[in-house]
Amino acid sequence: MKNKLGLSDIYSVAVYGIRARKGRSIMTSIGIGIGIAAIVAVIGISASGKADLIATLESLGTNLIKASPTSGFFGTQDDLPKGVLGMIERIGPVDEVTSTTQTNLLVRRSKFISELEGGGISVIVTNPELLDVVGGSLVEGRFIESGLANLPVATLGSVTAERLGIKNLDVPLKILIDNQWFGVVGLIEKLSIHPDLDRSVFIGYGIAKELFDIDSQPSTIYLRANPTYIEDVVDVLAPTMNPENPDQVEVSRPSDALEAQQAAEEAFTSLLLGLGSVALLVGGVAIANVMVMSVLERRMEIGVRRSIGATRSEIRTQFLLESILLAGFGGLVGVMLGSGITIGYTRYADITFSIPIWQVFGAIILALVIGAVAGLYPAIRASKVQPAEAVRS
Amino acid sequence: MNTSNTVISLQKVSKIYEGPPPVKAINGVSIEIQDREFVAIVGESGSGKTTLLNIVGLLDGVTKGKVFIDGQDTTKLSDDELSKLRGEKIGFIFQSFFLLPGLTAQENVAEGLLYQGFDRKIRLDEAAKVLKQVNLGDRMEHLPKELSGGQQQRVAIARALVQNPSYILADEPTGNLDRASGLNILSILRELNEEGKTVVMITHNTEHAKTFDRTIILADGKIVS
Repeated sequence: MKNKLGLSDIYSVAVYGIRARKGRSIMTSIGIGIGIAAIVAVIGISASGKADLIATLESLGTNLIKASPTSGFFGTQDDLPKGVLGMIERIGPVDEVTSTTQTNLLVRRSKFISELEGGGISVIVTNPELLDVVGGSLVEGRFIESGLANLPVATLGSVTAERLGIKNLDVPLKILIDNQWFGVVGLIEKLSIHPDLDRSVFIGYGIAKELFDIDSQPSTIYLRANPTYIEDVVDVLAPTMNPENPDQVEVSRPSDALEAQQAAEEAFTSLLLGLGSVALLVGGVAIANVMVMSVLERRMEIGVRRSIGATRSEIRTQFLLESILLAGFGGLVGVMLGSGITIGYTRYADITFSIPIWQVFGAIILALVIGAVAGLYPAIRASKVQPAEAVRS
Repeated sequence: MNTSNTVISLQKVSKIYEGPPPVKAINGVSIEIQDREFVAIVGESGSGKTTLLNIVGLLDGVTKGKVFIDGQDTTKLSDDELSKLRGEKIGFIFQSFFLLPGLTAQENVAEGLLYQGFDRKIRLDEAAKVLKQVNLGDRMEHLPKELSGGQQQRVAIARALVQNPSYILADEPTGNLDRASGLNILSILRELNEEGKTVVMITHNTEHAKTFDRTIILADGKIVS
């Protein structure tokens, strides 16, 4: 007895089955294609988003702590004690600490804008160290450095600049803070982790005292601590700041918010992945369905092949491979479609494109496995067709 | 070497289809067909002709009795061994041609060698040779739907022939053809027989049946003469 059917022969026989019914084959693959596209796109988009989130987390660090008095019953904030900065500095693991003072000064571009249209921008009086402590950087110009604290100059957060219509500092610009002109000396990059700072105008303590009689009572504390002891610092911070009423101090880590956001996105991702899997399942059932139909339709072909020497297992392999190829084709198209969607989304959302290669391979392998599972029953049926029955005309 | 040159030998073969009620399609038939014979099987519809041909072609098993092909008892062979034997020793020709619609004439003929482990190149070369033999050398790239019925049946004969079988089985090969094409197919089979092939053919056509060396007449699953 001679050799069995070679691999390339089995392949061409299976391809024949697909090629002979092009339209149907394409439609059959669509289900798998959509499922794989959904999964690849979801994985790609979440991976791209996550890469950005992780980059943000890394640049900001997880050792930043923010503390402020809780809002009172009537929405008022209690002031922090005067020497609070010194008290915090004496906590061992604290590396850097700075404070800001929230004001209710009105910011306008000019006198022609109504006083009622503040635009949600607040003025924060701050120290030169703030930018370092919160991990910010400048788009252009300078922050309120020590030499500038007594001058009528301001640095703007990213949202503030946008709302005031300031894109750059190519020409000298002034803004109006409670009817006093301030020169704009710098623009800060978007901080995202501190949306309240993005919406602010920063001025120095000296000029705040001089023009608006605001003293250096801190309303919010920002500090960096040794990452190893970060939890301990969080624990002792409130009692240190307000020994009598520690529950009136709110301590938070901005990185927690990002981590929560990340967790929320992961949950959403799993939901979409679940939906993608359902699409795959449906696609698999569609393939099984079409293959069963195909076996019924192609009894003649099966009969002829059996009569020219095909064994049961050769018929089985042919139909199984056909099903796997159908699914594999769908998977390939799905991967391309999913990658395309991811690229489109990352361009639109302006985030870094990142698609894990192993997941792309995983998606294709998944499609092949689905094809194999879906094709198993039809292939067995095809192999059990009685040759004498099949050639009955 | 088998001294008697018997290619096909059926010994008291019965085929019963499980009921209810059970149908005795073939009832105790014994036949010997020698090498180079040209045999017709005739009989009414339902007389068991096709069942007999399927048994001789190893497409169907028997309920009782023995089937010897080239002296080999086939009743004990596995399904895989039967498949391989079909591929090597038996060429089939069907009434409805049974060509694969998506393949050209040459590719259809080459399929006859697919399951015997020949390379694609050899298969196609052999197919080309045999197609020339049945006068279709100029139709090799045509699809079945581009060929007439008589041409399609010649492609089917070529597919059987390319296997270089011990014998050719034809189930009413002229049944779907007009008179002229039918005679053409018959003369091709006759030529093949003269070149040394054993041919067993079912036919309804009494005009055709006269040209055979031997005619087996079946009725109710038994040989009448």
